[in-house]
Amino acid sequence: MGENNIILKIKTLSKHFGALKAVDEVSFEVKKGEIVGLIGPNGAGKTTLTNLVTGASPKTAGKVIFKDLDISNLKPYQIARNGLTRTFQVVKPLIGMTVEENVLVGSLFGRDKRNTDMKNASKRAREIIKLVGLESKKDSSVSDITLPDLKKMEFARVLAMEPEVLFLDEVMAGLNPAEVEEASILVKRVRREKELTIVYIEHIMKAVMGISDRIVVLHHGRKIVEGTPQEVVNNSAVIEAYLGKRYTKEVNNEG
Amino acid sequence: MVLNNKKVNIFLLIIGIILFIFLPRFISGYWVRVITTIFMYAVISQGINLMSGYMGYLPFGNAMFFGIGAYVTAIGMSKGLPFLVVVPLAAITAILFSIIFGLPVLRLRGHYFAIATIGISGALLSVVQNATEITGGAMGTTLPIIDKSPEITYNYFYLAMLALMVITTLTIYLVIKSKFGFGIRSIKANEEAANSMGINTTYHKVTAWAISALFTSIAGALYAYWMSFIGPEEVFDVMIAVNTIVIMLIGGAGSILGPIIGAFVIELFSEVVWSSFLEYHLAVLGITIIIIVFFVPKGITGTIADFVKKRELRLRKKVSV
Amino acid sequence: MSLQMLINAILLGGLYALMGIGFSLQWGISGIINLSYGAMVILGSYISLEFFNLFHLDPFISMIISGAILFVIGAAIYRTLLQPFLKGGIVFTIILTFAVRLIVENIILKVWSADYRTIRLTYAGSNFQFGDAYIPLIKFLAFLVAAVLIYLTYLFMMKTKIGKGIQAVALDKEGAQAVGMDVEKMYLINFALGTALAGLTGSLWASIYSFSPHLLGPIVGKVFIIAILGGLGNIWGAAAGGLLLGIAETAGAVFLGSEWQEAIGMVIMVSVLLWRPYGLMGKKFFG
Repeated sequence: MGENNIILKIKTLSKHFGALKAVDEVSFEVKKGEIVGLIGPNGAGKTTLTNLVTGASPKTAGKVIFKDLDISNLKPYQIARNGLTRTFQVVKPLIGMTVEENVLVGSLFGRDKRNTDMKNASKRAREIIKLVGLESKKDSSVSDITLPDLKKMEFARVLAMEPEVLFLDEVMAGLNPAEVEEASILVKRVRREKELTIVYIEHIMKAVMGISDRIVVLHHGRKIVEGTPQEVVNNSAVIEAYLGKRYTKEVNNEG
Repeated sequence: MVLNNKKVNIFLLIIGIILFIFLPRFISGYWVRVITTIFMYAVISQGINLMSGYMGYLPFGNAMFFGIGAYVTAIGMSKGLPFLVVVPLAAITAILFSIIFGLPVLRLRGHYFAIATIGISGALLSVVQNATEITGGAMGTTLPIIDKSPEITYNYFYLAMLALMVITTLTIYLVIKSKFGFGIRSIKANEEAANSMGINTTYHKVTAWAISALFTSIAGALYAYWMSFIGPEEVFDVMIAVNTIVIMLIGGAGSILGPIIGAFVIELFSEVVWSSFLEYHLAVLGITIIIIVFFVPKGITGTIADFVKKRELRLRKKVSV
Repeated sequence: MSLQMLINAILLGGLYALMGIGFSLQWGISGIINLSYGAMVILGSYISLEFFNLFHLDPFISMIISGAILFVIGAAIYRTLLQPFLKGGIVFTIILTFAVRLIVENIILKVWSADYRTIRLTYAGSNFQFGDAYIPLIKFLAFLVAAVLIYLTYLFMMKTKIGKGIQAVALDKEGAQAVGMDVEKMYLINFALGTALAGLTGSLWASIYSFSPHLLGPIVGKVFIIAILGGLGNIWGAAAGGLLLGIAETAGAVFLGSEWQEAIGMVIMVSVLLWRPYGLMGKKFFG
C-alpha cells in the first residue's frame, strides 16, 4: 500500500462530449476504509465520473491509480477483478436468473480466486444473501421482486465480488424514507464487517451527511469543494452553487 | 428438465441412447437417413442455442461453419488424407474462422451481429464458388465413396451423427452448468452489468462462438463424407441457419434438450408435409412456424416447464391453505 | 470506369435506393428485420405483370396499384403477426417474417411458376445519347420515378402530421407516448409504407428486367447492405447506400468479374458495420 493508506487516486480526470465537459479535471483521493460522499446536483457528472473510474466509458484525459496500479486503460471486468466495483443508478439485474444466481455470478467472477469453483462460490453467495437479509427471496426470479429487494440483491452481488473499493451510485434512489433508513444501516454494518472503502454517490445532500467521513462536491463537471461534512455544509461555494441555487429556484417556482 | 432426480435422468438418458443405437435394425434405410438428418440438425441447433438461447447473440450466418467443415473435409480427402485426420482439421479451421471473425464482429450487438454473420457467410460462399481450382467451384465437388454396401455405410453415419449429437449436447450441458455458462447467461441478461461484474465479455463471446463453430463444422464434415458430393450453395445455405433457429424455438431456446426435441418435431413434420403436400410444403412450413410462435412461444420444453411450475404453485397453495 | 458504366451504375443504383428505403424504415423505425421484403418486391412485379397481361396497363401506371395493395398487405401482416411479438426479441420477428416469405413464395410459385417473366413494353428499345454514352429511355424513366418517390417519402416524413409522428416515435418512444401519440399506429403506418415501397420498386423492376421467385433471397441480401450502408431508418442514407451498391456492383463486375458481384456487397457491408456500426449516415439512437 502507498503512503498515507491511500487506496484510490483520481488525477485530473476529464470526459468531454463535444463541447460539453461532463467531467472536467476532477482530482481527489480516497483512503483505505473511508466513506467518501460524492455529491452534486443532477447532471453534475457523478455517474459519468463513476463510469470513467470503473472503465465503463473511455476518458478524455486523466489517470486513475488504484492500489498503486494504473487502471486508467483497463476494461471494466479487469478493474472489477482487481477489487474496484460499482452498483448502478438504475438497477441492472440479470433477468432470467434467480436472486441466488445473480449473487453467484458476482461470487464466481469476483476478486477472490478461491471462489472460482462452483461449490465455494455458491456457499459464499448464500452467506452474502443472508448478510443482506434476502434469504426468503433467494429462489425468486429477479423479475418478481420489489425495488428495495432488487437494490439489496445488487448490493449482495457486488459484495460477493469481495471488493476493496465500492462505488454506490444512488443506491437510495426510488426508496421511501423507511427503506432509506434500513439501507443506510445495512451499508454501515456491512462496511464495518467487510472493512470496505466506499464512494457514496448521491444528489440528496442530507442522505450522505450522516454516513460520510469526507465529501467531494461536483458541479458542472468540476470539483468545487472537498472536506468533512461540516466543512462542506458551511462552505459558501456549495451553498451558492448547489444548495443556494436549488433553494432560490424552488422559491422562484413557488412565487 | 422435468424430473429433478439426477440419477433418474441419467438412467433415462442412457436408455434413450441405447434405444437409438439399436433403432436402425427395426426401420427402413429411408428412415435411418431421415433420423441421421435429424441428429445433424440437432447438433447445428445446439450451436445456435448456445449462442442465441443462452448468450443472446443470434448467429444467423452459422451455416458458414457447416460449409467450412464440409469443404475442408472434401478438399482434405481429395488430397488423400483419411477422414479421421481431416475432421480435426475441419474443426480447427472453423474455430480459427470463429476467432478471426468473432473478435471484431462480436463487438456488434443484437441485429447488427446477426446481419454481419450473414454477410461473412455470404462472402465465404462467394470465395468457395470462385476458388475453382481448390474447391471445384460453383458446380460442387466429390468425395471418395466408402467401399461398403449402402446399408452399412448409412448405419455408420447414423451412429456417427448420433454420437456427435450426444457429445455436443453433453458438452454444452457441462459448459452451461459451469462458471463459463454463468458468464454467458449474464451476457444475455445484461452485458454492461456482466462486464462490471468481472466477466471478460469478449473472451466469453468468442469462446462460445468457437464451441458453436466446433460442433457445427464436425456436423458439416460428417455430412460431406456421408453425401460424397457437396455444392457451395447447399452447405453455405442461410436456410440451414433458419431451419435450426426454428428448431431451437420450437424445442425451447435456452434449454438443453430443446434442440433435440425441436429437430425431431420439425423434421418428422416436414417429412409428412413433403410427402403429402408436395406443392405446398413451403406454405405449410410457413404456417407451421406462425402457429408455433403464436401458441408455444417458449417452445416445447419451456411450455412443459411452465406447466410444471404452475402445478407446483397450485399444490403449494393447497398445502398452505 | 467509363461514362457509360457510370451511368449504368447510377441508373441501377437509383432502383436499389428506392428498394432499400422501405427496408431501412421498417428496420430502423419499426424495429423489424423484414425477411419477407424480397417477396414483397417480387409480388409488386407480378401484380404489374397481371395488369399488363389483362389490360395492357403500363407498369409505370400499375405501380400505383401495386403500392396500394402492398400497403394493405404490410399493414395486415404487421397488425396480425408482428405487433404481438415486438417485445419477444429479434428471433421472433425474424422467424415470423421468414414464415411470411415462405408462404408468399409458395403462392408465387403456384400461380406464376418458377420461370422468369418479362413485361415487353413498346418503347423498351429506345435510347438517347448523352456524351459518348447511350441511355436506355426506360431505365432513365424508372430512375426518375424512383427519385421522385424517394423525395415524396422524404416529404411525407418531414411535412405531414403522420410522418412527423413517425419521426417522433423513432427518436423517443416514451416521450411520444407521454404526449398522447398512438405509437402503435405510427409503427404500423411506417411498416405498411415500407412494404408499399417494396411493391413500387417491384413494378419499376418489372418494367426493365425479368423476374422470378429466384430473386427473393438476393433482394433481401441487397436491401440489408443498403440499409446498413446508409444507417437504419435514414432515407437519404439508404438512397446513398443504394447508389453506392449500384456503383460497387458495377465496378466489381468490371474489375473482378461478375461472379464476385454478391461478395463485394457483403464485404462492403461487413466493413461498414465494423468501421461505423451505425452506418455511414446513421445516428446512434437507431438499432
